[in-house]
Amino acid sequence: MTTFEDLKSQWKNQPQQDIPNDGSESILKKLSGIKRKQIITNVILGATVLILIVFFTYIKAYNNGLISFALSLMIGSLLIRIGIEYFSIKKLKAIDVTLSASVFSKNMVSYYKKRIRIHYIATPIIILAYCIGFVLMLPSFEKHLSSGFYTYIVFSSIIILVVMVLFIGKQIKKELSILKEISN
Amino acid sequence: MKSLEKQFKEVYEANYAKVNRLCLGYTNGDAMLSKDLTQDVFIKVWQHLDSFRNESNITTWIYRIAVNTCLLELRKKKPVRLSNHLNHIEASTENQNNDKELEFNKLYHCIGRLKPENKSIILLELEGVPQKEIAEITGLSHETIRVRIYRIKKELTKCVRK
Repeated sequence: MTTFEDLKSQWKNQPQQDIPNDGSESILKKLSGIKRKQIITNVILGATVLILIVFFTYIKAYNNGLISFALSLMIGSLLIRIGIEYFSIKKLKAIDVTLSASVFSKNMVSYYKKRIRIHYIATPIIILAYCIGFVLMLPSFEKHLSSGFYTYIVFSSIIILVVMVLFIGKQIKKELSILKEISN
Repeated sequence: MKSLEKQFKEVYEANYAKVNRLCLGYTNGDAMLSKDLTQDVFIKVWQHLDSFRNESNITTWIYRIAVNTCLLELRKKKPVRLSNHLNHIEASTENQNNDKELEFNKLYHCIGRLKPENKSIILLELEGVPQKEIAEITGLSHETIRVRIYRIKKELTKCVRK
């Protein structure tokens, strides 16, 4: 008859996994790779913002009130979305993993609750603002672009919107299930 | 003075097996996933090593990081479901090695059925971590740990005997 002490000795006697050769060095190498990726991400975000601002001034959007408003809505909603994600990732990384499991869990629950609030309140507003900006830009696109390119922009934007909504929906579902599990 | 890299290497080598065994318990015995998790744990150990104040035993401190990392990461990467794997082994089991494998899989399967918090408690108990330290790692009181361990032991033993 199996007792807990049998299980304990069975547990301790299970085949040992070998310590990987140069394991600690490979971790340090992996970390420098992660840092490099973070730098690349920051550079890409910075470049995106710069390109949008250059585009805004290049087409002299500030001369036309409606175009200026529409472009500001589109650029603004993108920037707010990028900002939210950036600060969320920063906040997640700042949660102290060396604390006890119950405190760590509490911090994680509060983080994911905030994320869900963002998804339910900020995200729909951001998507709506972007769509309004885009629709307001349509007459200007129609006026200045060939009909083929205009049709392409309209259809591709619908596809992009659907893909984006599906992607965000999947993310919300995943984060909701994480929250449900942590709260248990 | 000992460099941080040298200290990390020593900590890594002294604790790798313990952390890996703990991760195996969280992943239903999935060796690949537990290897990845062990690596994630030691990345965090390195990132926080300079803030370690010697207020607790370094192994307890590492266990704290390991428990938090495993619980969090496993919500993102789900381990393989053992039931199908178990049926397959049960059908083909003839020799001693498979019997041993089956025993381990049964143990992993029973551990996998526990609630996340209870899973952490019993894995640390199986590792032989004193109850006072388990309380420190989980953030629960010593008394709660004592009562919970008693209950989980009974539940686990009953499940393995089935």
